[in-house]
Amino acid sequence: MAQWNDYHHEDEDVDGEERDESGVDYKSTGRDSLVFLVDASKEMFIMGEDEEPSPFDMTMQCVRSVYTSKIISSDKDLVALVFYGTEQSKNPRNSFKHVYIYHDLDLPGARRVQDVDGLRGEKGAQVAGETMGSGNTNLGEALWCCSNLYSDIKLRLSHKRLMIFTCRDTPHGGDSERDRQARTKASDLKETGVVIDLMHLMKPGGFDVSLFFCDVVSPPEDEAELGLQMEPCGKLEDLQKRVRAKEMKKRSVARLNLCLGEGMNVAVGVYITALQARKPNAIKLYRDNNEPVRTKTRLYHTQTGSLLLPSDTKRVQVYAGRQIVMEKDEVDVIKKFSDPGLELIGFKPMERLKLHHHLRSAVFIYPEEEMVTGVSILTLLRRCSVRNVFALCKYTRIRNSPPRFLALVPQKEEVDDGQAQIAAPGFHGIFLPYADDIRTLDTPQLPTASESQVDKMKEIVHKLRFKYRSDAFENPVLQQHYRNLEALALDLMAPEHIEDLTMPNVNMIDQRLGSLAQEFRDLVYPADYNPEGKTAPKRKPAEAAGGTEKKPKVEMSEDELRGHVQKGNLGKLTVPVLKDACKQFGVKVTGTKKQELIDALTAQLTK
Amino acid sequence: MARSAKTALVLCLDVGFSMSNSAPGQEPPFQQAKKVIQKFVQRQVFAENKDELGLVLFGSDNTKNNLAKDDQYQNISVHRQLMIPNFELLEEIQNDVHPGSQQADWLDALVVCMDLLQNETLGKKYERLNIVMLTDLNTPSSPDQLDIIIGNLKRAGITLQFFLPFPVDGGGSNPPHGGKALSREQQQGLEMTKQVMMSLDEEDGLEEVYTFSDAIEKLSVFKRVEKRPMAWPCTLTIGSSLAIKIVGYKAVCEERPRKSWSVVDAQTHQKDDIKRDVVYCLNDDEETEVQKDDTIQGYRYGSDIVPFSKVDQDQMKYKTDGKSFAVLGFTKQSMINRHQFVGTQVLKVFAPKDDEHAGVALSGLIRALDDLKMVAVVRYVYARNGNPQLGAAFPCIKEKYECLVYIQLPFMEDLRQYSFPSLENNKKYTPSEDQLSAVDSLIDSMMLVEEDKDGVKKDLFKVNHIPNPQYQRLFQCLHHRAVNPSAPLPPMDPWLTTALQRPLAVATRCQAPLEILKKKFPLKEVVKKKELKTSKELFGNSTEEPDAKKAKVDEEEDFNLADITEGSITQVGSVDPARDFRTLIRQKSLPFGEVCQQLTGRIEQLLGNKNMNYYIKCIPCIQTFREQSVQVGNADHYNSYIQSLKTSIPVRGLQEFWDMLVQDALTLINKDEVEGSTFSSHDAKQFLTAGEKKEEVVAAVVDDTGDVDDLVSVNLLWLHFQGESVFVGVGGYTSTRSTVVYVTSLPWFISSPYSWT
Repeated sequence: MAQWNDYHHEDEDVDGEERDESGVDYKSTGRDSLVFLVDASKEMFIMGEDEEPSPFDMTMQCVRSVYTSKIISSDKDLVALVFYGTEQSKNPRNSFKHVYIYHDLDLPGARRVQDVDGLRGEKGAQVAGETMGSGNTNLGEALWCCSNLYSDIKLRLSHKRLMIFTCRDTPHGGDSERDRQARTKASDLKETGVVIDLMHLMKPGGFDVSLFFCDVVSPPEDEAELGLQMEPCGKLEDLQKRVRAKEMKKRSVARLNLCLGEGMNVAVGVYITALQARKPNAIKLYRDNNEPVRTKTRLYHTQTGSLLLPSDTKRVQVYAGRQIVMEKDEVDVIKKFSDPGLELIGFKPMERLKLHHHLRSAVFIYPEEEMVTGVSILTLLRRCSVRNVFALCKYTRIRNSPPRFLALVPQKEEVDDGQAQIAAPGFHGIFLPYADDIRTLDTPQLPTASESQVDKMKEIVHKLRFKYRSDAFENPVLQQHYRNLEALALDLMAPEHIEDLTMPNVNMIDQRLGSLAQEFRDLVYPADYNPEGKTAPKRKPAEAAGGTEKKPKVEMSEDELRGHVQKGNLGKLTVPVLKDACKQFGVKVTGTKKQELIDALTAQLTK
Repeated sequence: MARSAKTALVLCLDVGFSMSNSAPGQEPPFQQAKKVIQKFVQRQVFAENKDELGLVLFGSDNTKNNLAKDDQYQNISVHRQLMIPNFELLEEIQNDVHPGSQQADWLDALVVCMDLLQNETLGKKYERLNIVMLTDLNTPSSPDQLDIIIGNLKRAGITLQFFLPFPVDGGGSNPPHGGKALSREQQQGLEMTKQVMMSLDEEDGLEEVYTFSDAIEKLSVFKRVEKRPMAWPCTLTIGSSLAIKIVGYKAVCEERPRKSWSVVDAQTHQKDDIKRDVVYCLNDDEETEVQKDDTIQGYRYGSDIVPFSKVDQDQMKYKTDGKSFAVLGFTKQSMINRHQFVGTQVLKVFAPKDDEHAGVALSGLIRALDDLKMVAVVRYVYARNGNPQLGAAFPCIKEKYECLVYIQLPFMEDLRQYSFPSLENNKKYTPSEDQLSAVDSLIDSMMLVEEDKDGVKKDLFKVNHIPNPQYQRLFQCLHHRAVNPSAPLPPMDPWLTTALQRPLAVATRCQAPLEILKKKFPLKEVVKKKELKTSKELFGNSTEEPDAKKAKVDEEEDFNLADITEGSITQVGSVDPARDFRTLIRQKSLPFGEVCQQLTGRIEQLLGNKNMNYYIKCIPCIQTFREQSVQVGNADHYNSYIQSLKTSIPVRGLQEFWDMLVQDALTLINKDEVEGSTFSSHDAKQFLTAGEKKEEVVAAVVDDTGDVDDLVSVNLLWLHFQGESVFVGVGGYTSTRSTVVYVTSLPWFISSPYSWT
């Protein structure tokens, strides 16, 4: 349930090709929707011991964090906030008593987050009391009202979820008629595909789900979970966790045939499981009203001014002074080698797959039609894995995309203790470099370390071991961006602080190493060696002249300059310095050659 | 400086009459030699370096050289002085270099070349002087001056290469390939050649003698232009007190050609005649244009757009303070998943060349990691304000050097944790013993790495030895077009096609196991095709988003094809899909199924517009589809499409369109029309009248509410449905792709793209 998150996003845009691989297919999946149904009875506003926030306050925190998470992770999802057990009623035609629709089922935005903020804390409780108040409880009515929310939505909803937040295990205080009504309504909802979740909060004496709610909520997938739950719901914690990562819907980037040989085609889907996430694209707005503007790109003839059609243009490259002209479609067709597909070339032992043969994010290959091809792919998968070989394939993603070779590395399915999948069955497709992609390097000839030096380093490595997990590091650039956006959207004073996990924890490292660092240094470096000194002494003069970043701008006094002229060592100055000097003294120069500059300066200053 | 060093090279081509002689069915040596020269010059032209090239012909009918006097040095013609090669030279070679009717001494020609080189390189700096001799050695030559010539070559530092029609060691009395024995002159010439080459370079001299056919093969590969690796000096840090100076180099990275295509006017071929112009306009009815300066940036935040100017953004954004290669810690190599590598490059990290101490320190780290099977997890920042990366530095110990190999690792945001249905724990998928062993024997037969007799492992298919075929093909076409501006593009070079295929040995070996495999996994082909098709249709537009984007390219292709009346139709376009469909079926260039799929794709696109005009356009498509299917005698595609179409009618609100189909009686193809059909004529009739209600559930897959996630993609998706011609820009089009989109501006389009809710 921790997954609103799930991660993200596209565009390794090396070229257009990659860009095409991203893009989200909402159409086939529809949108997710989520309704918060929150108890607003008096009990919800009772603060816990030790200044613990009231259940209502905690709920609002959850709602807020879900809102803000959704906005970033999947801003197409619909969210609603409904209170029940209120004094006031607010719903279409006000046909339901004691049900207050605070937010209709819609996209979350800044306004809504601020609304929810307004309901937090003591002040929030007050506001809630004034606007809604606490009154009778009729969960059946509330559920009915919610089902209307769903049915009013014209969009296709792929996933419908309803979460009940309450701290009362017997909402109707034993009114069996109302209990029955609520159960009926709940089962109606479940029948239309709505998943009902219970988020039960702290209650003195424990929350007994079996009293009433077990019949209301959707049965958990794992049957063991059913039954008495005394602890406040652990799911709450997940809800409060903020996730700022764009969610990517599972979608294949291509559906292809894996051709094992003539007439042996297996349909597979190609997926991307890791790709560098980028900031979402900016939108251009009109300064005066902050409305988005549209961009129009036009191609026109500079002489006649007439608009040009694509057919009015051709493509050109120039070599050795000659223009080589092609039609646009010829340029495209040149890239075509074979029809889209994966063509098996053969197999190689795993050790032939070189670690450093990496070009771009790998793809994941999974059989497309489980029934028929599943078994053939599975067999292949098993045998490749047992025999420790990978399959070498030629990969053509779409028409007009030139071929690349993939190493298909088998991955066997792995599940954790809870039977949740941690590794999916299928092949990882590793992109292999062509000859052109591998650069020849001059490798320096340097002495190697002695055994004692290596052993000392081993001690260091040993001290700094940790368990790497690929999902443990957030991208600080993206996180900062999202927090900035949040701050601006919600009128916060300052963006929330980010913890930069890419920064080494220097203090901790130093502490753990203790004297080891010094010992290693003593072993490898002579006493007068400074490993942090500048490597290239050549660069020093440039830096002395004002750093490498901007053009050096050294003001030279007239005396200094005259001194140079008299000593005749103007030539020692660099051209930019000389140019600046010329400007400074208003010397007009015709050329840019060093000698010309010197001559001009000398002439001026010896007058 | 070393970078400006250039080579001067003289090609010395024998055009004498013996070069035109060949065994029947064989290419005469002259033609082969000409090819060698063409390919070589071509390569030089595209390399665009400063190397200079001259061309001397001998055995020519005319005489043109500085040394010609009386009867000396006759029939030797300096065709071109030392110059940077260009296309004119290529054209001259193609058009003006013909076999002559004379003969000349190749040693004389060599002397002329030496003279040319020495005269024209006087006072200039060259890294290398080289003469390339292409001859069949079939002229009597006087060996008396040989020593003097060799002496001069040595003194001038001129290197020599020979290209002969026969191999240098296979000579002697054995008849060379083709069955023609070497003439006496040739044998003598060969001896002299050997003598010259050996005296220039005792050990490897003979390696500079090539055969024409070898050379053609080698020269067919366009060589990439070597880039000087850029050093990235930095300091590796472990905590605050341990630092090692390092230098990083890009070791693996997708290489792109240096030049890209620019757009020119079709008539004048002038780039300046075309201007691309981006305007911004408000989203109102008048499409009021606004100045770029009056626009600011914003980002979407849920249902809102938050203005966020560039200045603010720069101020608030995450900043880094300079380059970094800082170790966060060490972890087991097995914890790093290779398939989770991200980024587009691999760095190799060394100690600086002149820094022994850094070398020892880094070596200590590399060896420690290697022994422990661990990696360093590092924070990598390329330069100030560059985005930080997280990466793994692997130890790499080679015979000649040691280094760290740095590869970027994903951030949490980069990972997509998809789960897939289990294959392993599903009883349906338990493969039988037979199936397992069938796959095993396939693997055996298709192993690309094999041991030869001496136990040496040989890799039959090394991807990292194949030049990128995209660029090979590009240069092949560029060259062809440069020399033959009006000719169509050439077919793919056969060597390139072969290089990308399963090696012949493997292909033969795997035949039998494949046949067995086919038997052990039956059904696949048939069922798969059918299923693939129906699923595709069922999902209609929805699954086709990636395809649709691709179709943008196709669209333009159509456009051009139609316009320049190439006359060949390669796919079902949107202008007249029915016509294209018919043509394609007639041409039989594509499989029937694929053409059907293209057509249904178009129909789906048209229907997506929900507009009577488009419905009207669809009817002939379906009509033609039906007609052609009956004619071809394959009803499967049509029937399955029309069925899935029907099921989707209620959900997509296409009742109007359905009524039109009913009116035109476009029903299923029945058994009487096509034998393979599974429907009786009664079924077919029923099909049009039967109620749709029960199918509603099945069809609930299609949804055409235009969701605007990625504005660009969605708009593009809509836009290129139109084959016509007005430009309409795409809002938010900030991607790097700068293609223009061509559409008709239809009312629905104008009003739709910015409704964010």
